[in-house]
Amino acid sequence: MIQLFQVYKSFGSKNPALLDISLTVKKGEFVFITGPSGAGKTTLLKIIFCAERPTSGNALVDGRNLNRIKDQELSLLRRRIGVIFQDFKLLPRRNVFENVALTLEIIGFPLSMIRKKVHQTLRYLSLVNKEGYYPPQLSGGEQQRVAIARAIVNDPLILLADEPTGNLDPDLTMEIMALLKEIHIRGTTVLVATHSQELLKDTTRRIVTLNKGRIV
Amino acid sequence: MKITLFHYFIKQATANIFENRLVHLIGIGTMSIAFLIFYAFILIFVNLNYWTEEQGSSLTMSIYFKGEPDRAVIEKIKKELFLFPGVTIKRFISKDDAIKSLRRRLGDKAGLLDGLKQNPLPASLEIILSRDKGGDTLPYQLKTRLEKITIVDEVQYSQEWIRRFQAIMEAIKIVGIIFGGLLFLAALFIITNTIKLTIYSRKEEIEILKLVGATNRFVKIPFMIEGSIQGFLGGVVALLILFLVYIIAIAKIDIRIGFASLDIVFLSPQYIFFLLLMSVVIGFIGSTISLGRFFRI
Repeated sequence: MIQLFQVYKSFGSKNPALLDISLTVKKGEFVFITGPSGAGKTTLLKIIFCAERPTSGNALVDGRNLNRIKDQELSLLRRRIGVIFQDFKLLPRRNVFENVALTLEIIGFPLSMIRKKVHQTLRYLSLVNKEGYYPPQLSGGEQQRVAIARAIVNDPLILLADEPTGNLDPDLTMEIMALLKEIHIRGTTVLVATHSQELLKDTTRRIVTLNKGRIV
Repeated sequence: MKITLFHYFIKQATANIFENRLVHLIGIGTMSIAFLIFYAFILIFVNLNYWTEEQGSSLTMSIYFKGEPDRAVIEKIKKELFLFPGVTIKRFISKDDAIKSLRRRLGDKAGLLDGLKQNPLPASLEIILSRDKGGDTLPYQLKTRLEKITIVDEVQYSQEWIRRFQAIMEAIKIVGIIFGGLLFLAALFIITNTIKLTIYSRKEEIEILKLVGATNRFVKIPFMIEGSIQGFLGGVVALLILFLVYIIAIAKIDIRIGFASLDIVFLSPQYIFFLLLMSVVIGFIGSTISLGRFFRI
């Protein structure tokens, strides 16, 4: 599903963010990407959903080479990748319903289908009573769940989560992790970037550790 | 285009205008000023064109008499004039009418005329000649013929100044087209930058839309609709201001050149439609140009 071959990424003259990354993630896998702050976790995820292009090396996602992908194809690929951003990236002037509906509107679903799928997803994430709220009116945990709802509402092939529990208390952390596991059980390939060792304790999932831009 | 998408674009465009109303108000205000300058120029240009055509198609001729002609003489001259095509009798001005008119024009200084022992102003007959029917040689033929009548002192007509006026107008038209083109470009430049402000205030939103899989077209279309609406509203405001200025000030100005009194006309409905359409197009083009640099995500 995801294949990276000797991927390097540097920003200007600074130290490279990623160095010689080769990684394969199979369809339906659940992988943790871990490492200290600044290890390159976010950059790695950004390469996968093509917010950044590799400086050298190749990245293939769902069979598409991201170095050669055209704008139109990229948009179609991103619709198959759900992303939970570290800073949520919710639209503050759109309410919960509208934020979640965004992905489906982009795809061009009919209105009736959009309503049905958004309601289902909001119910699944216990957000039904918040659908008219705007992001600034919600707590951190609620915003996190809205970000998850937006990422999974169109049943993506891949779900990328960047520090999904970064700002949450232990109870909410468990709740969000349980949700990610459920999404994985439904067949989605899940990559979770986290620096929290607590989250990795007792896990049987595959763990990829990064340090100073390299896989260790 | 699917109805859902069309519905989405219109909804987003109107919602964005409402949500970012301050930025849009500033934008519409700036556009209105840019359009107002352009429209004012068009108004001047249209009037110059209108005057050239109007004055060029007819001319006024004044027949001055020696002393006060009696009615029978005037009727005889009128009959003779009607033999020529395209001649219309405008009015007869007696010596008394002429001095009264002069007094009126002098206003407070009319007292200057009190010292005159006799009225020095001649009686006259004003006629209008249509150039379409009479051709260019008619005024000269008429002048020569009329001046042979004993009671007629002199015949004057406005041909000379109209010729000069038309030559000036031709030059103004060329300068006008160049100046109008430059004004159009200036308006487009101002508007492009104004729209950039609107887009810049929503840079983050564009980024998010792109990251969740929106195509460039999907992100751009609501902005283009917004730009067009902004252009239309800017155009309407500019036209309203121009119309108000026209009613309050311009329409009352009486411009006289030689014999002719020049009325300032407002833009015709066709011009208004064309200018509003142009405003919408400028808004659309402006937003399209401004959007270019925000799509490298």
